[in-house]
Amino acid sequence: MHWNEVVCTVLLALGCVINFSGSYGVLKFPDFYARLHAAGKTDSLAQVLILLGLVFVTPDLLTQVKLMLVAFILLIVAPTATFAITKAAHLDGLAPWTRGGRQ
Amino acid sequence: MNAVVLIDTLLLLLVTATAVAIIEVRSLYASSILTGIYSLLMALVWVNMHSMDVSFTEAAVGGGISTILLIGTLVHVGREEKPIKKRLHVPALIFTALTGAALIYGTLDMPRFGDPAAPIHHYRVPEMMAQTVGFVNGTPGKQKPPEGFDVERYRRFDGRVTGPIPDDPKDTAWRERSILQTEGLIVPQVRAAHEPHAEPGHHLHPPDDFNGHVPNSVTSLLAAYRGYDTMFETTVIFTAGVSLILLLRRPRREGYLQPGAVMSDQVILRVVAKLSIPFILLFGFYVITHGELGPGGGFQGGVVLATAFILYALIFGRAALYRVVPPPVSDMLTGVGVLIYSGTGAVCMLLGGKFLDYSMLNPALPGDGESLGMTLVEYGVGITVSMVMLTIFNQLAEERST
Repeated sequence: MHWNEVVCTVLLALGCVINFSGSYGVLKFPDFYARLHAAGKTDSLAQVLILLGLVFVTPDLLTQVKLMLVAFILLIVAPTATFAITKAAHLDGLAPWTRGGRQ
Repeated sequence: MNAVVLIDTLLLLLVTATAVAIIEVRSLYASSILTGIYSLLMALVWVNMHSMDVSFTEAAVGGGISTILLIGTLVHVGREEKPIKKRLHVPALIFTALTGAALIYGTLDMPRFGDPAAPIHHYRVPEMMAQTVGFVNGTPGKQKPPEGFDVERYRRFDGRVTGPIPDDPKDTAWRERSILQTEGLIVPQVRAAHEPHAEPGHHLHPPDDFNGHVPNSVTSLLAAYRGYDTMFETTVIFTAGVSLILLLRRPRREGYLQPGAVMSDQVILRVVAKLSIPFILLFGFYVITHGELGPGGGFQGGVVLATAFILYALIFGRAALYRVVPPPVSDMLTGVGVLIYSGTGAVCMLLGGKFLDYSMLNPALPGDGESLGMTLVEYGVGITVSMVMLTIFNQLAEERST
């Protein structure tokens, strides 16, 4: 395997692991905010890793720049979406989970 | 089992599961979100089949704007489905089963998945693909065909193309010549490949104009081969927009606008929206203009444009949107798009060709003419689609006056 394929494979694998951990968190965490925390954070990182991994196996410079642009835009937009959802839930009056039970 | 079929099977199982969930879920809100997921999964299925244009449309229209509009509808109908008594409706069950059986029976006639002998690989499309591939990928012989790939059959693509394949890659008219010879018809006089030809049509083009076709064969099919079809699709969208205005819009004397919640006091949302709206608009225009070179076109680009306006309305309020695009302007632009499309066709007629025969726009270089015509037409589609989507959003967000 050429070095760029190795880098790509490592980044893709890392992205997949992080994505998987996010999905696991969505299923396991106790309440809405914690689940969104798992989903939002891991999604943002995993997509950057996967797109960067693809940059290494793309021969064409234009496509590489496009992939990096997509990664950059998602890096700004995805956390904002998570923020918007969380804020909406907070304004709607959804109380966060605490160890002692619901407030 | 090959990977494509495996991934397809998994995706389609997920699609089925989502469809069942959409029916079963009581909350209409969850149902709308699941519809978006359904569309995104279908987009993945299309990607798996390498049909990028369809996938793009499905993601933009199905996953994007439809979900927004469905959630907009919930403003009027409420979040929860009315509880209904669940009982078995026997005639409906029988009817559904019969329809399903008929559809499955219909698939028996279809070629197998990925069958190289399927009609789609032999009629019309390969002609366009063969012409496209030869020039876009640069020098012939640079890319090796896969193992067991019958290059000669691929290059001939038609049983009527007989005789030896010419070595000259610039001789792009040999298929037509060969077909005409096989059918016993008159062989047109062959011109040199670099000589621009005087007559319209798809024969004997100079080699650098993609043989009279734009490089993306899907756009070529939609805007030229099936130009009428696409024009009336645009008209259908226009009609939908007009109907919605007639049904839902309050009379002008009451004012278009009722005050709604504004989210511009949310700093993060405001800043990110301001950052991203110019890029969304730019991307929308890119998708429309680039439709003839790669995946994209008027429908997808128009939806992307509409999304930028909707985002603006969501963050800064519809009063701000109405200052940017007043309802009379958006109403007018819905019609302007259709007018641009049909007007392009009419101009082709005035120049002496048939309706929507784009090559008439530049008779010296018919490929350039086609390219110009398709760009115009795509812009027409884009304007209509974006403005109709915007109108639908506005009317749904507006509270009913009653």
